[in-house]
Amino acid sequence: MNKQTRLTPISRWRERMIRLANDTGWGEHLAYWVGKVAGGLQLRLEKLRPAGEIPWTPLRRPIAQATVAIVTTGGVHLCTDEPFDLKTDASFRAIPRSASSADLCITHEHYDRRDALRDLNLIFPLERLLELETAGIVGRVADVHYGFGFVQDPRDLLASGGKVGGLLSQAGVDLVILVPA
Amino acid sequence: MTTVALALVRELAVMVKAPRMLYLHWPFGHALGAPNKRDQQYTVLHDVFSMARSAPRPGLIVDLPYPWKRHVYTPISNWTEESQAFLQGIAQALQMEKAQL
Repeated sequence: MNKQTRLTPISRWRERMIRLANDTGWGEHLAYWVGKVAGGLQLRLEKLRPAGEIPWTPLRRPIAQATVAIVTTGGVHLCTDEPFDLKTDASFRAIPRSASSADLCITHEHYDRRDALRDLNLIFPLERLLELETAGIVGRVADVHYGFGFVQDPRDLLASGGKVGGLLSQAGVDLVILVPA
Repeated sequence: MTTVALALVRELAVMVKAPRMLYLHWPFGHALGAPNKRDQQYTVLHDVFSMARSAPRPGLIVDLPYPWKRHVYTPISNWTEESQAFLQGIAQALQMEKAQL
């Protein structure tokens, strides 16, 4: 899965900055720090869920019999769908298991997407899961997976995240792999 | 429905309080590793499956020990057995939890 995935263009300045963050040691440290501080301040996730209320669902069947789905926040979507708003977008896009790299686009401006463009499995490991399904290691790869873009305030995700959870549950998914950008 | 989340910023993983989290100290945009490194990507998926099967309770964050570069990944020989890296990570997480109590 590579080569043909397409990128939604972002500003030249931002492209230069995120490449710098990826290509240099100090840039990587800075990006981590910014992610930690800015993310922490923006997210304020401590307030979203009081301590001690972490949901828990045991895996109900072996992986070799389980249906597995991916939810990615790497800005992946079908190129035929409306791209995410680069500034903030809490909506989601459905991605069928039949989607090839040529069908998929990345719309996100907060990480260096060059490697994901070469191999989309880094942020959306559909091809790897399909291989594991063929090998009998995974029971079944779900028919539909979901992509999110960048969101400034995670509280905006509560509604759409809940909706995606409902859709995955209705589809009989046993295990969801959440992959960040 | 069981969920396993990958995380690239440990401090945010702590704040998110997801049921099961695997932390990798890798750059943004590389949650499964490097491009076209199939064994590396399978290693992460193997750890995801291990976490789904074996995490004893919600909220544990397992630090996976793989460095970003100069680590040799070998094919997974047994997908139904948990990886050594995962077992070490979960033991460490439980130990840290115990120390905090």
